[in-house]
Amino acid sequence: MKEFLKVGISGVRGVVGATFTPQLAAAFARAFGAFVGRGGVVVGRDTRPSGDLIERAVTAGLQSVGCQPLLAGIVPTPTVGILVRDLGARGGIAITASHNPAPWNALKFMGRDGLFLDRAHAEELFDIYHQGQFDLVAEEDLPAAEDVADPTAGHFGRVCAYVDAAAIRRRAPRVAVDACNGVGALHTRRFLEQLGCDVALCHDMPTGDFEREPEPLPEHLGALSALVTSRRCDVGFAQDPDGDRLAIVDEHGRPLGEDLTVAFAVQAVLDRHQRGPVAIHLSTSRAVQDVAEKRGAAVTRTRIGEINVVTSMLALGAPVGGEGNGGVIVPAVHPGRDSFVGMALVLELLAREGRTVSQLRQAVPRYALLKDKVRCRPEQVPEALRLLRRRHEGGKVNLLDGVFVEFADAWVHARPSNTEPVIRLSAEAPIREAAARLLQEARDTLAPALGEQKR
Amino acid sequence: MKGLRLSSFGLRGFAGESLTPEVVIDFAAAFGTFVDGGPVLVGRDTRLSSPMVRDSVAAGLLAAGCDVLDLGVCPAPLLQFSVPRRRAAGAIAISGGHMRAGWNALTLISADGGFLDPVSGEAVLDIYHARDFRRADWRNLGTAAEVGDFAAPYFDALEALLDAAAIRRAKLTVAIDVVNGAGCRFLEPFAQRLGFRLVAVNAEESGYMARDPEPRPRNARQVASVMPLVQAHAGFATSSDLGRVSLVAEDRETASEEYTFPLVADHVLAAAPGTVVANCCTTRMVDDVAAQHRCRVVKAPVGQAYVMAALSDEQGAIGGEGNGSVAVPRFSRAFDGLLAIGLVLEDLAQRGGTLSGRLRELPRYHIVKRQVYGEPRRCYRALELLQREDDWQAGAALDRTDGLRADWDDGWVHVRASRTEPLVRVLSEARQRPQAEGRAADLCRRLEREL
Repeated sequence: MKEFLKVGISGVRGVVGATFTPQLAAAFARAFGAFVGRGGVVVGRDTRPSGDLIERAVTAGLQSVGCQPLLAGIVPTPTVGILVRDLGARGGIAITASHNPAPWNALKFMGRDGLFLDRAHAEELFDIYHQGQFDLVAEEDLPAAEDVADPTAGHFGRVCAYVDAAAIRRRAPRVAVDACNGVGALHTRRFLEQLGCDVALCHDMPTGDFEREPEPLPEHLGALSALVTSRRCDVGFAQDPDGDRLAIVDEHGRPLGEDLTVAFAVQAVLDRHQRGPVAIHLSTSRAVQDVAEKRGAAVTRTRIGEINVVTSMLALGAPVGGEGNGGVIVPAVHPGRDSFVGMALVLELLAREGRTVSQLRQAVPRYALLKDKVRCRPEQVPEALRLLRRRHEGGKVNLLDGVFVEFADAWVHARPSNTEPVIRLSAEAPIREAAARLLQEARDTLAPALGEQKR
Repeated sequence: MKGLRLSSFGLRGFAGESLTPEVVIDFAAAFGTFVDGGPVLVGRDTRLSSPMVRDSVAAGLLAAGCDVLDLGVCPAPLLQFSVPRRRAAGAIAISGGHMRAGWNALTLISADGGFLDPVSGEAVLDIYHARDFRRADWRNLGTAAEVGDFAAPYFDALEALLDAAAIRRAKLTVAIDVVNGAGCRFLEPFAQRLGFRLVAVNAEESGYMARDPEPRPRNARQVASVMPLVQAHAGFATSSDLGRVSLVAEDRETASEEYTFPLVADHVLAAAPGTVVANCCTTRMVDDVAAQHRCRVVKAPVGQAYVMAALSDEQGAIGGEGNGSVAVPRFSRAFDGLLAIGLVLEDLAQRGGTLSGRLRELPRYHIVKRQVYGEPRRCYRALELLQREDDWQAGAALDRTDGLRADWDDGWVHVRASRTEPLVRVLSEARQRPQAEGRAADLCRRLEREL
């Protein structure tokens, strides 16, 4: 992948040592400070080695415009959002490239509601950055940075209060965790022990040298599977480096696929906590939809992007939802993806149902979800998507984000990537062959618009 | 707009205006590039902007692959002393020094603890301007660590250099004003090691500039005012980074900062003669003192870096400047206010008598310091024009080592464009005050006409 810089709705992202520099971080932090106004701004980071220097640059940038950095240190990304609200801060900056590989890092911006900035606010921030006009504060008004004491206490307390912690403690499950040498390496044991779990960890050094691929995809979870079987655990959890996404491994060491995380969370919330509609993004598995609809909940599909899911959920009053990539969102705890609430809900489900993870998995319909991408220059995107839309004219087509075509028990989705010059394709059907066929059809349909392919 | 000033020694700017985190990160990254990713010490003073500047400096160094050893609040002389002992590739001192509140600066220190030499400094500036920084990849970024135990080796060496036993026996009471600067926390150990009774003035690390931090007689009034109450034998007013110091005698006479260097030189040369290095606008007292000890004086351009370079070249015994700066190369490669105070106390202890009596023994000159404001560009032009005017320099020997100096038998004048502020500095020294005043006034009038 080219070492480019990406400034977009999900923040400012780049490769350390190439495009992502402390100068850039300081300049964006200053623009963010000017955007939110003088006051406290929570700053948290993941374990990447570049986190320290970027945190220092962000600290200086915030101070220069009169914002007081409230330093949470190495914490999960959802913790930053929760602290923004608990501390009454003006906003938050999470220093993390989430599931991107270790050379990457990023700034992610949150408003005073603890949510990531939506598109309109992100654009305003970038305008301020590009205009480059700031009211720098005089020496006597420079605020001193402050460390946040026990930064995860509020977050974990909130999660434990939401679920039936007593039931989990009675069950005292044995849990294996792959922390990906990320924030979980510092926080997950304490969190699970708070819930009475017997915890075994792998990839538990907070070095930011991830050792496994940071996306918690089934093919990356060999170490966790081995740990589950060798320690005879009830369940295995795989976190991504900043602790917002979660994948599950069953008691036999078999990865379930990240879509099942959201399916279990939906089941746990709708059965025991709150009723209401469910929001998921377009590429999320139908398994989630089936679980929700079986419980009488309406399902809304949203554009890709965490803030889009969250915004829809808040508008609909959805008690649960998320992203098929393992991002569970329970607004009553925090309106953002949170692997900790995901873990707690799965453990609660195990405790209350008295069943194993593989038994729970049996109860959820099976689908095959396949993904692919095709190279596509930006100027080719409109014609390519137009071809796919025409192909399905008269069908159930959703144009919210690229082209999403829904069939009776299957769907296919094509959308331009926010981060690479590609069109991302995904298709889901009850059996693998059918999904593969849908993908192939889509590729064939797009092909005429993608002449002069270079690879 | 209080602008940014870049030079081969460092960078200075005004918080809230020119001193932005990006500029500081760039400059630190340029230095990190220059030292090729080697370990760098960082020390700061207590100014309110210093923590922000420290974080920016660390970010720039870490990105360049330098390990950062953060000494926290640390006066420049202690930082400079520590660099060779920690085997660092260099250091960055964050300090406003003698500048007024609002200003702050980075000073670049080389591996031997001295200011970066001008040629190397130019190289750093070239990297800065080209923005051609060393950028470590994520596996090779520097790591930052805090260093807390740097003062003890410094005081060990200071105690070994000085006749601490004599100072202790003399039972001196000493008032020291450190402008609430980086020196605050080091006064107590300093007093304990040398065994004098300390009266600390403006010694809270608040970063609040309780007076103009430049050591001048008018800025030593606070320390002078407490001296009778505690019957102090000597008083001192330092700059906020402990680099410079001016003296106050037991009779509350606030001596010109010009006296510090000649008094210390007289004391040091009496014990061990050697070459003296002064800048080209230092008081003639130094020349007279050196002559008494049959020692040579070498003149260097203005600035710690130039004086240190000449000390190395000449293997000098002592160097300094008329602004209250003293360096003893066998101790460290820094202008060191604590060292200067220690040497003055040693002198008092060994000779007995009073500080006012001691000051009267020195040759008497009157020095006048004036400033004429003007844009930097025009300042240099004004100096050229001034050189062409013949009538004021009749009978004088001209020297252009740094700026313009004219010497007569009974005095001298020196005119120089400031490297740090938009102004021309005029110094005039003579045996008689009216003579010094008259020459300064004449030059100021001529400069004002040009500017």
